[in-house]
Amino acid sequence: MYKTLRISFSLRNAYRVNGILYSLKQIPIIKKLLPEKIYGVWGLKIFANIVSVIIEIISAFLGKFLYFYLMIFLPTFLITDVVGGNIVSSGQIFVHILFFLSIIGSYMNTFLFDPTRDKYYGIIIMRMNAKRYALVNYGYSLIKLIIGFLIFGLLFGKAYGVPLWISLITPLFVTGLKLTVAVYDLFKYEKTRNATNENKPGVIKWVIVFVLLGVAYALPLLNTYIPLNIAAYLMFIPIITGALSLRKICTFGYYREYYKQILQPEAYQKDLTRKVMNEYSKKLISADTSITSKRKGFEYMNELFVKRHHKVLWKPSRIITFVLIGLILLAVLVLQVAPDSHAKINEGLLNYIPLLTIWVYSMNRGPNYTQALFMNCDHSLLSYSFYKQPKFVLKLFSIRLREIIKINLLPASVLGIGLSLLLFLSGGTDNYMNYLVLLTSIPAMSIFFSVHYLTMYYLLQPYNRDTEMKSGTLQIINLVVYFACFYIMYLEIPTMLFGAMTILFSLIYCIVACILVYKVAPKTFKLRM
Amino acid sequence: MKFIIENLSKSFGDKKVLKDINFTFEEGKIYGLLGRNGAGKTTFFNCINSDIPADKGKFLLETDGQRREIKAEDIGYVLTTPTVPEFLTGREFLKFFLDINEDSIKNPKSIDDYFNIISIDTEDRDKLMKDYSHGMKNKMQMLINLIIEPNILLLDEPLTSLDVVVAEEMKQVLRQMKAERITIFSTHILDLALDMCDVIVLLSHGVLEIVDKQDLNSQAFKDKILSALREDAHV
Repeated sequence: MYKTLRISFSLRNAYRVNGILYSLKQIPIIKKLLPEKIYGVWGLKIFANIVSVIIEIISAFLGKFLYFYLMIFLPTFLITDVVGGNIVSSGQIFVHILFFLSIIGSYMNTFLFDPTRDKYYGIIIMRMNAKRYALVNYGYSLIKLIIGFLIFGLLFGKAYGVPLWISLITPLFVTGLKLTVAVYDLFKYEKTRNATNENKPGVIKWVIVFVLLGVAYALPLLNTYIPLNIAAYLMFIPIITGALSLRKICTFGYYREYYKQILQPEAYQKDLTRKVMNEYSKKLISADTSITSKRKGFEYMNELFVKRHHKVLWKPSRIITFVLIGLILLAVLVLQVAPDSHAKINEGLLNYIPLLTIWVYSMNRGPNYTQALFMNCDHSLLSYSFYKQPKFVLKLFSIRLREIIKINLLPASVLGIGLSLLLFLSGGTDNYMNYLVLLTSIPAMSIFFSVHYLTMYYLLQPYNRDTEMKSGTLQIINLVVYFACFYIMYLEIPTMLFGAMTILFSLIYCIVACILVYKVAPKTFKLRM
Repeated sequence: MKFIIENLSKSFGDKKVLKDINFTFEEGKIYGLLGRNGAGKTTFFNCINSDIPADKGKFLLETDGQRREIKAEDIGYVLTTPTVPEFLTGREFLKFFLDINEDSIKNPKSIDDYFNIISIDTEDRDKLMKDYSHGMKNKMQMLINLIIEPNILLLDEPLTSLDVVVAEEMKQVLRQMKAERITIFSTHILDLALDMCDVIVLLSHGVLEIVDKQDLNSQAFKDKILSALREDAHV
């Protein structure tokens, strides 16, 4: 038993360590400082091992802490505040939420049927004894769970005056629930030979999740929750059924068959994962035979590309536009029926436009466009030397830039026009420049995102011949852009100033980006090795 | 025309894959590039095709005594796994290709004439290439490299995954194409190399070396190549 546990630990550790070393290799400057044969360097291995152990401890305790704090403690505090309750009702709300969330966790996070990578390596590749492997790991996870729930249940429960004995049985309750669900799945497997993959819950399970979430959080808001003593008695049921389940879980004879079903090689073997992804990309290509083009050369190819990738390009852009039109019309309606909303909406439009940055960011089709470009077009064409001639690279860049700007501009300009309209209807402004700024700053933002994604694609060309994303630089840049958008959201700048700055920034960025592409792209736009 | 490689070196970390290679390839010949797994054949091709930067070295093309550096358009590169833009039909791909290269293609033919050369059936010509078989994709890739008439044609294991009929057709095409260009053909299959190639070149210990056939019969020649390759294992 100890040996199995040790092997599964070292398996998890091995890929975690290599994963850490691999990510270090992806960071632009650090990768230059690291030796070529990074996986064999003793010091680095030790470092990664330490990080790996820390991750193991964090996953055991920090995870539980965050769960208790964010999902139960904080909501209890907020709900008590809203309904104006006292410490007694807080304790009851705390147990109420814990009770229903635990039911969700019992089947969404079974531990036993979690198709993890180490299970794949251990059971499928290394052909270890499936039952022993499963049970040892299951036991380990349950012990971590019991300790975590005991510590944080007591700690957070005490803050709300939850009786000590309830906090003490909580870990057993949660464990009992998990055991009961596991036994149910095992019996179901024996009957139907269909294994339950907890990472692929069906629609019904998701519906139950939402119902239970509603029960957990919405009922207390209506001042309704299970009384403490009833909850406590109910907790004993899974404790008993869980205890009864233990025998079946230990004697179940088909763990190998069960895991064979849920541990599909596609999820763990890199080449197979890639194959699935390539198949997916192929499916994006429309088989509509009526699609043709009357153009010539690159314009011809581009038109066919855009038309045959309608599903990922124009279709989402149109849907977003319709939703925006709907929202704007709704706002117009509100302005008509509730005249007292005018002042608020007017003020919002003149002061909170930075909020829209993240909207424009998430509406942007750039990442989907560049991905489709690579997977279905450049991946193959870049292996032909004619395609890599500088004049062709630049010609195609300008066509593609025009295309992605058009796709993103549709919703952005509708949003710009809509907001100007709302500004006018909500009482207008003395400074007419405000209209102009609203009208142009959102399209400017949208153009910035379009230029940004395509430029990065041409400058960093992040994929290799096996369609793997290889550029750490790009991932870092994307993160920075994301956080920048998030940060801007919280800025309070008047629309006028923000709009003017956006327009100016976008303009400068676009000019610089295009110059860079013209200078550098013929060298950088190639398949990575 | 000659393709001259001067002082080509390439290392990955401490591993020297190509060591100061100096070699001259001549027009009209098919060169069979043989080497053990990991000997650096693909690295060698990738350096020529400037897919990866060489650490050192020059690639020159000499025509009528005039030397110049090679350009992207001098090279045709046929990969083991053929890649074609799958969102286009075979016909659309050819039209696009002919459109953008109309200035550089000598004696262009009609699209259907081109399809005839590589015997792709009429009903397949207007299908999206995502539905093409491996062999058909391979033919398309070969066709594109044939039309462009590159000065240097690199073939990385091009025939191994084809069925016998397609492989035979492709061999014919390659033989027809070999005049007026330099063809370098990498393969693991010794018989294929002996069948197709005029010159056998070994890539071992990071350098290129011609295996002299002299007046050996084919079995003796084979043995000579094999023993040269085996020596590589003892290093």
